[in-house]
Amino acid sequence: MKKKRYPSGVVGAFSQVDAACDAIKEIKQQGYEDYIVYTPVPNVEVAAAVGHKVSPVRRWTLAGGLVGVTTGFAMTLWMSYDYPLVVGGKPLGSVVPYVVIAFELTILFGALATLLAVAYYAWKTFQHGPHEPRFTNDTIGIFVPCPVEGRQAVQDLLLSSGAEEVRVEEV
Amino acid sequence: MATIVQPLQETLPTYNEVTRDVAATLGRPKKGYYVLLGVVLFVLAFGAGALLYQIRMGLGVAGYAPPVLWGVYITTFVFWVGIAHSGTLISAILYLFRSTWRTSVYRTAEAMTVFAVMTAGLFPLIHVGRIWYAYWLFPYPNQRQLWVNFKSPLVWDVFAVSTYFTVSTAFLIVGLIPDLAAIRDVSTGWRKKLYRITALSWQGTDQQWRHYTRAYLYLAALATPLVLSVHSVVSWDFAMSIVPGWHATIFAPYFVAGAIYSGVAMVVTLLVPLRKIFKVERYITTRHFDNLAKLLLLTGLIVGYAYGVEYFMAWYSGNQFERASFWNRAFGEYWWATWTMILCNGVLPIFLFFKKIRRSIPALFVLSLFVNLGMWFERFVIIVVSLSFEYEPYAMGHYTPTWVEWAILLGSFAWFFMWFLLFAKNFPTVSITEVKEITPMPRKRPVQA
Amino acid sequence: MSDGMNRRRFLKVLGVTGGGATALTGCSTDRVEKLIPYLVPPENEIPGLATYYASTCRECPAGCGLHVRVREGRAVKVEGNPSNPINQGRLCARGQASLQGLYNPDRVRSPMARVPGGGFEPISWDAALTRVAEQLATMPGDQVWFVTGKEAGAFDSLVSDWLAAIGSSNRIVHEPFAYEALRQANRTVFGVDSIPHYDFAAARHLVSFGADFLETWLSPVEQSLGFSSGHSYQSGEMGRYVHIEPRMSMTAMSADEWIAPVPGTEGLLALAMAHVIVRDQPAGVPADASRISSLLAEHTPAAVSARTGVAADVIERLAREFTQHASLAVAGGIGAQHAAADSTAAAVNLLNYVAGNLGRTVTFHTAQSPAGQGSYSGTVELVEAMRSGRVGALFIHGANPVHTSPTGLGLTPALANVGLKVSFARFYDETAMEADLVLPDHDPLEQWNDFEPRPGVHALQQPVMRPVFDTRQTGDVLLSVARQLGERVTRTLAANDYKEYVVGRWQALQRRLGDSRPFEAFWSESLQRGGIWVDEPTRQARLAATAGSVRGEVWSAPAGDQLTLIAYPSPAFFDGRGANRPWLQELPDPVTKVTWSSWIEINPATARRLGIAEGEFIEVTSEHGSVTVPAYLYPGIREDTVAIPIGQGHAAFGRYAENRGANVYHLLAANATGFGAVEHYVGVTLRNTKDHERIAKTEGNSRQMGRGIAQATTLQALANPEEHQEEHGDHAAPVPDHIEEIIDEWQEDQYHEWMQRGNYAREDLPRWAMAVDLSKCTGCSACVTACYAENNIPTVGPDLIRRGREMSWIRIERYFEDGAHGEIESRFLPMICQHCTNAPCEPVCPVFAAYHTPDGLNAQVYNRCVGTRYCSNNCPYKVRYFNWFDHQNEADAAYAWPDPLHWLLNPDVTVRVKGVMEKCTFCVQRIRDKQHQAKLSGDLLVDGDVVPACQQTCPADAIVFGDINDPDSRISQHARDSRGYHVLDGLNTRPAVTYLKKVRNIAEGEA
Repeated sequence: MKKKRYPSGVVGAFSQVDAACDAIKEIKQQGYEDYIVYTPVPNVEVAAAVGHKVSPVRRWTLAGGLVGVTTGFAMTLWMSYDYPLVVGGKPLGSVVPYVVIAFELTILFGALATLLAVAYYAWKTFQHGPHEPRFTNDTIGIFVPCPVEGRQAVQDLLLSSGAEEVRVEEV
Repeated sequence: MATIVQPLQETLPTYNEVTRDVAATLGRPKKGYYVLLGVVLFVLAFGAGALLYQIRMGLGVAGYAPPVLWGVYITTFVFWVGIAHSGTLISAILYLFRSTWRTSVYRTAEAMTVFAVMTAGLFPLIHVGRIWYAYWLFPYPNQRQLWVNFKSPLVWDVFAVSTYFTVSTAFLIVGLIPDLAAIRDVSTGWRKKLYRITALSWQGTDQQWRHYTRAYLYLAALATPLVLSVHSVVSWDFAMSIVPGWHATIFAPYFVAGAIYSGVAMVVTLLVPLRKIFKVERYITTRHFDNLAKLLLLTGLIVGYAYGVEYFMAWYSGNQFERASFWNRAFGEYWWATWTMILCNGVLPIFLFFKKIRRSIPALFVLSLFVNLGMWFERFVIIVVSLSFEYEPYAMGHYTPTWVEWAILLGSFAWFFMWFLLFAKNFPTVSITEVKEITPMPRKRPVQA
Repeated sequence: MSDGMNRRRFLKVLGVTGGGATALTGCSTDRVEKLIPYLVPPENEIPGLATYYASTCRECPAGCGLHVRVREGRAVKVEGNPSNPINQGRLCARGQASLQGLYNPDRVRSPMARVPGGGFEPISWDAALTRVAEQLATMPGDQVWFVTGKEAGAFDSLVSDWLAAIGSSNRIVHEPFAYEALRQANRTVFGVDSIPHYDFAAARHLVSFGADFLETWLSPVEQSLGFSSGHSYQSGEMGRYVHIEPRMSMTAMSADEWIAPVPGTEGLLALAMAHVIVRDQPAGVPADASRISSLLAEHTPAAVSARTGVAADVIERLAREFTQHASLAVAGGIGAQHAAADSTAAAVNLLNYVAGNLGRTVTFHTAQSPAGQGSYSGTVELVEAMRSGRVGALFIHGANPVHTSPTGLGLTPALANVGLKVSFARFYDETAMEADLVLPDHDPLEQWNDFEPRPGVHALQQPVMRPVFDTRQTGDVLLSVARQLGERVTRTLAANDYKEYVVGRWQALQRRLGDSRPFEAFWSESLQRGGIWVDEPTRQARLAATAGSVRGEVWSAPAGDQLTLIAYPSPAFFDGRGANRPWLQELPDPVTKVTWSSWIEINPATARRLGIAEGEFIEVTSEHGSVTVPAYLYPGIREDTVAIPIGQGHAAFGRYAENRGANVYHLLAANATGFGAVEHYVGVTLRNTKDHERIAKTEGNSRQMGRGIAQATTLQALANPEEHQEEHGDHAAPVPDHIEEIIDEWQEDQYHEWMQRGNYAREDLPRWAMAVDLSKCTGCSACVTACYAENNIPTVGPDLIRRGREMSWIRIERYFEDGAHGEIESRFLPMICQHCTNAPCEPVCPVFAAYHTPDGLNAQVYNRCVGTRYCSNNCPYKVRYFNWFDHQNEADAAYAWPDPLHWLLNPDVTVRVKGVMEKCTFCVQRIRDKQHQAKLSGDLLVDGDVVPACQQTCPADAIVFGDINDPDSRISQHARDSRGYHVLDGLNTRPAVTYLKKVRNIAEGEA
């Protein structure tokens, strides 16, 4: 049996969403922080119960967009003067048509930045845990890493708040 | 962020059922699938052959007859770009509008978007005289120190279409990840390997969802203005020129509406057989088609109105060239194309006012085919007919496509369906996650009002 | 140099041999020992610098002077010789295409002998000559017959001398248009067997009785120049020109008034006009005019009006106008091609006489004019002789009687009775195909010769390059045959070779002119100038005794449902000798705009009556034969008349000519007319075969839908504008100043950069512009062919033209307008790239392939072009042309220059590849060339230095080019002209090309 990459603890499986939420609240009161909640779909109630701060992804999106718009205008204008040819009696650097380019680059860079961001944070905040196939299907799973002496308390807590099944995850 | 709404299905499926039903669509394909794929590949090869022939001989093998220097290829380019649009509309814009009925259809639409853009992207290449130099349209650093002309709508196209392709592909993939994870956890064998890789070790932890939901929201928020801009830019290829019948300010909204119109029609064309074959009627119900039909009706009416405005402005402008051009559209040698377009896009959608038709799948299917035809002819009329009747009477001409152009047009459909078939059998065409999202999970105590 | 040698390989050699001296001498005309180049002696020939040789054009009997531009030992362009009094530097389309005769891939490349089984096999010159000599030795001299085309000079006399020497007088001159009727009429009326010189420039009032003097008749280029200076609008004045002919020819399209009488009755109108003049006795009527009053008596306007269908008051008016100014009446072309044509011409002579034009606008030289020798009756006589076995040996040079004689004559079968048939043809034409021996002559550009188109004009031909093929000058051939025949013959033929023979004549000429210089000086100066021009004494023509015998005979129109068919010489192919030149085949006919084919012109009303649509193949049947040609509906022809151009329908004559259209001679009567000509009128019936083919014409729509593309006004309107309604196109909005500023600033920067690169010699940058005077343009299309020649434009063939894919950078648009009185009015507009200041084509190009140069050119960078074709969509003038196929690729089916045709490619101009856009460049290579020359010589360009190919050749002097920034330049003055307008002005493209409205000088009473 190969070495697992996460601490030992207690896993509870819930089929009822409000039960899971109660459990989470309890666990937080007990002072546990590095617990993991597995949900098959993003769920507002669970999210509220866990109570994370708003994801920082949005800052990346904004930054990407800003970089995009500047690149757009800078590139078009610079290239127009670096290779100066008059066409149709129009100004070398005609800002109005360049708005189109700037706009498209805003979107492009914004989107790419968002992608990077979600990849980055998902990787940074990733915790290994006892994930089970049913957690992506129809079951909410809660993993509470705890020392041996605290296990019993956590098990009771999870069961009392309505877990179908509770087991100890040994390392 | 699932909000509880009046359900689209009569009886809500459980989470487990959703996973099961969708996973079932990915089972071992039947004979028919391979036959279909074979046909598609054959037609594709035929089109590719025609293209090679054209590259070898020169564009002369196509039917171009000056002054008509844009023909079937640009027509088809605009057609496919248009098709793409409804996908993004359904997946991104309706997402922002929180309209829950999109959840079971948006994946198909979005896949259609990506493949349609992939098809459309080929046509500017097929169309240019020296395809081997097409990369010159990108502003890449080169020892000759040449840059591109950013004043040219064609360069705008390059940026708009490639951005559109990138973003819509990203959006599709991001949406797929949790589903792939779900499939991974119920599948076996080589598929399990495939999905383990493609799911990027998704587990659905609270942290993952926290970033994921945000990212998805912002992607949708970016895709929304993008989709509007792309077809506007495409329309400016024409509106920015001085060709009578092209040079009109209404083009951007007119084209965007037309694009969504044709796109939704294509979604219907794809969904009708798909739900039958994949037995997902439970998720894609007549109510979904009803909503799609309403979209068709709305955009169809806008398009019809735009036709009217075009003719009105031609008359009202008092510009003799515009007037002549539009007279020629309606009564010139291409009258049949014009009236096909008006019938299919202007008249037929009127029937969608009747709930009976909106909810009759066969009727919708037939109608969607007509709309596809009509929208292709709309671009044909705008491009070819306008060019054939410009300012210089002595230089007016008559254009008839050749077999090469028809072959390549067919090939483009084959290309599109090839990708779609491969996708449909290997990736969930109904979004597992989002369908679950709108079905409430079981609770120990009822929701307090 | 081997025939297979292509330019690219040649230039490689050039590069390797540094300066290419060896290659050059290998290529220069070293076989002809002494060459006097016009500008640079050949030993100084520098690769990249052109050498010019003066010579003479032999495409038609007019004999215009040439300057041949030679690059690296290759003739690459022919232009008119400015010092030549006939064409004064201008050329017609056929002259421009003479290069394609020189480099024609279907030339006879070496002497050929017929093999018994049929077909030809190569034979050595010696063998060929021996064979000829032996055969001649065996037969009596009078069995030898010699057919030439119209020759006037050394070769002419050599043939006669040669025949005389071998004891024969059987000399036939076969020239399909030998003006027999005209000469007959001159004999009758003035007792002179000659063609007078017509002064079109001096004629303020011109009446043409069917004479197509701007197309093929006599000397078209000279007459175009004269006409444009005499007739065009200048400082408030212009001449008036009335054209009388059942069909509106290209010439008629330049007329102020076109009158279409019953076919063949033109003579009556002339007599009626003379009648009115003699009756009213205005000033200037010669005293002895009364001698003919008796014969004029019966031709009252009323009587004539009944027979011609022209209103009596119109005749009265014409007569009145005719005596008001210096006037001129000419009869010729179609008008002089029917049985009674001599009567027509005689009537016109009388008209000129009573109007006192003799000696003023009509001048006879004392010397017999060489214009028009020979007659069709000669050919008839030859056939008789052949039938009766009196022809032992037949020599044919410069004529194609098999193609240009009525089939009924039976020339071909008669040839079978001839023992030895020797053709000196340069191409396998129909006659050469019948020959036993083909001894190819040099191309006129490869030979020594002289030519006297009219008394006093002694033009020289000199070889401009080494012969392309193993050909030999016929003069030399005759002389060497003579030598082989022995002393009996050479006694009278002293010369060792033909050049010596020519020089001998010129020594005689020098003596006659009393020039005291050493002959070398006289000779070299003449060579440099292209000949020598002297004033010949003229004679005052008086009415001959026979003048009274003139009767108003008319052509007897066919009875019943037959229509009158008129066979007219094609402006492009003349009698068909131009048909193997791809440029001429591709040249849209000025009237119908049809290419690569022939057609029958039918009035739309007639067509409706007979149920005929354009493009349907019509079987045309006369009592002599029938041909099948596609129908072309032409409003400019009488309802009782149809017309087919002569020149197509070749059975042989090379890849470009074979099996195109129909040969009208199948329809014509075999027997000669009273004055010994072919009758080109015949009664025909039409049958619609219902086969249909899209006619390969370059025209989209013949009506301009009131868009003011080709605008016209009247002299009267210009005189007092307030009274007349002016015609307008749409007009431009004022231009924002910032555009001006931008371009000026930009020009500044660019200019500094250019100065550093040293490309320009001028202080400030020019802005190139062009003006076209539509009151001068006759639509002759010489500029089109000149452009093909200068700019390496490929010919694409009929199938591509059906798809509108012709590449011609300049096209002559021909529009029809309905005149005030229901008559049809036509206008020409040469449409080229307008080099717009706000060019719509430029901003839409994604890669800057189309951009604006600081000196105002709309440049197209072929290498950068990707081929999106957006520029052409956005060009309102539709003057951009796309390379649909690889015309420059030898391996490609569309290859336009099969070896050795590619030798004529202009080395200064890129040959464009498949998939790029091209268009008029204002001949930028010429602009840069002049600028560089100016830079080298350190002086400034002056107005008129830069001359584009189209302007250079324009026989009507309608095109002006120059720097519009220079306020004193000709172009600036034209651009300021009150008649000036821009096409599609309302689009605010601000073109660099200004068109000057066409001006019609309408008759009083008209409005």
